[in-house]
Amino acid sequence: MRALLALAGLVLVVAVAAPPALAQQWTPLAPESPNAEEIRTSYLFVSIFILGIFVLVQGLLLTFVVRYRRRRRERFQDGVQIHGSTKLEVAWTAGPVLILFAIGTFVFLALPGITDPPEARASDELEIRVEGRQFYWQYEYPNGVVAVDRLRAPAGVPVRLVVTAPDADVIHSWWIPALGGKIDAIPGHVNDTWFLAERPGTYPGQCAELCGVEHAKMLAVAEVLEEDVFDAWLEERAAEQAEVSLELGEELWEGVCAKCHGSAGEGGIAPRIAGSPTLSDAETLERVVRNGVRTMPAVGAGWSDQQMRALIGYLRESPPNGN
Amino acid sequence: MATRAEVTPAWQRGKVASWLVTTDHKRIGILYIATSLVFFCLAGLMSMAMRAQLTTADSDLIGPERYNELVTIHGTAMVFLFVVPILAGFANFLVPLMIGARDVAFPRLNALSYWLFLFGGLVLMLSFFADGGAAQSGWTAYPPLSLETPGSGQDLWILSLHILTASTLAGAINFIVTIQNMRTRGMTWTRMPLFVWSIYVFAWLLVAILPVLSAGLTLLLLDRGLSVGGLEVQTSFFRPDEGGSAVLYQHAFWFFGHPEVYVMALPAFGMISEVIPVFARKPIFGYKAVAFSTVAIGFFSMLVWAHHMFTVGLSVPLQSFFMVASMIIAVPTGIKIFNWLATLWRGNLNFDTPMLFALGFISVFVIGGLTGIYLAAFPIDWQVHDTYFVVAHFHYVIMGGVVFAIFAGLYYWWPKMFGRALGERLGKWHFWLLFAGFNLTFFPQHFLGLEGMPRRVYTYANEAWEGWNTVSTVGSWIMGVALLLFFVNVLRSRKGPRVGNDPWQADTLEWYTTSPPPPHNFDDVPYVTSARPLYDLRRRLRETRGIRALY
Repeated sequence: MRALLALAGLVLVVAVAAPPALAQQWTPLAPESPNAEEIRTSYLFVSIFILGIFVLVQGLLLTFVVRYRRRRRERFQDGVQIHGSTKLEVAWTAGPVLILFAIGTFVFLALPGITDPPEARASDELEIRVEGRQFYWQYEYPNGVVAVDRLRAPAGVPVRLVVTAPDADVIHSWWIPALGGKIDAIPGHVNDTWFLAERPGTYPGQCAELCGVEHAKMLAVAEVLEEDVFDAWLEERAAEQAEVSLELGEELWEGVCAKCHGSAGEGGIAPRIAGSPTLSDAETLERVVRNGVRTMPAVGAGWSDQQMRALIGYLRESPPNGN
Repeated sequence: MATRAEVTPAWQRGKVASWLVTTDHKRIGILYIATSLVFFCLAGLMSMAMRAQLTTADSDLIGPERYNELVTIHGTAMVFLFVVPILAGFANFLVPLMIGARDVAFPRLNALSYWLFLFGGLVLMLSFFADGGAAQSGWTAYPPLSLETPGSGQDLWILSLHILTASTLAGAINFIVTIQNMRTRGMTWTRMPLFVWSIYVFAWLLVAILPVLSAGLTLLLLDRGLSVGGLEVQTSFFRPDEGGSAVLYQHAFWFFGHPEVYVMALPAFGMISEVIPVFARKPIFGYKAVAFSTVAIGFFSMLVWAHHMFTVGLSVPLQSFFMVASMIIAVPTGIKIFNWLATLWRGNLNFDTPMLFALGFISVFVIGGLTGIYLAAFPIDWQVHDTYFVVAHFHYVIMGGVVFAIFAGLYYWWPKMFGRALGERLGKWHFWLLFAGFNLTFFPQHFLGLEGMPRRVYTYANEAWEGWNTVSTVGSWIMGVALLLFFVNVLRSRKGPRVGNDPWQADTLEWYTTSPPPPHNFDDVPYVTSARPLYDLRRRLRETRGIRALY
């Protein structure tokens, strides 16, 4: 009995003390957005019960193993022939039900803070379209600015992400851990998620749904900028894009071409393209990029002329040197 | 049975031929177990290759295509070629013996099940040599990815699963009919061994879910395009660009896929419920609660599938339903764990190798069960879904849980199968190394998932992930050594001492006959008066004649 009381005490201590103590290694990454924050809180709340049950079960197991080992008894001597106890069965049915009820209630209470941005801020929401494509992320801002892999966003403004994938592509999953949970980018479906980052910084993430050979290289990064810096960037990029945006060209090269062909065009899982006449032949290049060729997918299907111009311009300006 | 031997043609009596033509449930059971252990080794080597690739950041030991093949075939083989068939092997060997029957209801159908399994497995393994290599879209084969991969690997994957499905369905029907009709005198439903209960639910679950998988896979095959003779078939059920739905397949797959987890777990639970009482020298605590929880888990497992799809953007009420249903399953699972613990309470515990594996099972399975609660809470799942946290979770359930139970079962029933026991010394080394290696491999993967490492990536650039990945790889080597020791033990057991018909003084009918049992199983079967017929028999002998053991 005393052993059981001691065990109960241990369960309690661990359940209360452990979550904050282990918060670094044992929880989702440091959240930078209210939804990620709420998820982390829910995770910690669930952990109280999980750790409690963990210690209870492992503790009972160890206690019984030590306490009821054979010792000097005969090998096949009967243990105490107890067939069961209705009271205990009811107890360990009802106990978990109550715990799960508590967890469920907590999650439902936290849910509104996870699914939607704070209402007071909802009016100045910025909407960005996110397309998952083999093997890059393409973003489109309300003013038509296009970016690849690096998502710039303003600090302190709720950002609504409309997440999808082109009809002829495959399923991807959008995920920046510090900015909330993941949401799949599915051809033919339009999903959405949001974040509200208060602090400027760069927050990494990557595609979380197996999408083909270079799934592992489908990285994304959210760069949260001060609001005025972001606004300036967006305007400058829009102006640049109307002509030839070398910045976009470089993003396209690094995000779309280099993952398979190597960042200097030296070849990787796809052939070497440094020095290839196609790179300087705008017409052929456009055909290959838009339609694909042999095993190369149509990576540029649906690109705007601005995008195509940006890539061609970038390749003309700084052609890959092959090493 | 002498008459039977006389009508057997001479060519069927040879050492090899007799195994090829056998319809004896015990031999088929052993064939199942041996074959699935071979596939286990192959799939295990694949996982060690993947671990080697992930040891350091930006490693280029294995290319992305080969890695995706390994991911796909490792997962598919572990589920379809190792865990389910080895459990079917145990069921084959044990169910007729445990219920006091002569054989299964349809012995020849049973043989067909085995041979379909073998050939289905060969199709999967040989698909590595197919044009374009093996399938590369994961064991879940989500379209549109699984539609666009060129070559015939994906088609062979579908063919293999179709064959295995036919095999498993035939086996499941066989078990249902056998258990329903062939129990010996006195063996009512509540006197049936708990392992038989688990196989009964296992079989019904398979009958319920496999047709859905088959339908999904057939549509996938048609979507990939098929030409039969001059007839070209090209559908677009899952092709969004032709008006199909990419998500529809996921429903079909997981309607099968989640109960499949319990198809694997329930017989493991059943084996644990057989082993623990014998080594605690007690009856199972709460027999009816344990049996009923098996049925409850089976039922609820068919209502939780969309918890694998929390990130596809289902409506919140739908996600809430699947969260609550998933959490409900934790209740009957908890009932089992507490009843096992209560069976230890005030027992006379012997720590032979089967018991070590059974206790190890409880310890690691609890961890897998508990991390499942995080995943059931859908907002938390949005964060950890498809990461190494999930990889750790399901390996704790299936490798830590089910595979530990399988080893408990192998060490426990080995003397019944072959008349000789596996060595205890090597067995204990096997257990402790596997226990240490397993936890070292998979526990750190929880941290990797929480730090943002997705599953199914052939490489990673983030050097912060390197430390735990290296630990995980080292753990996988320790597991490799542990498994090697098991096979050494198996080879050595061929010359081990004979241990008699009932070495553990167990309670169920399979220990009443000789080890190994004769082709007809029993000369006579005692009338069954409780869930522990041999315990009753021993007590009667002790009370009436002062005899202490059956043998």
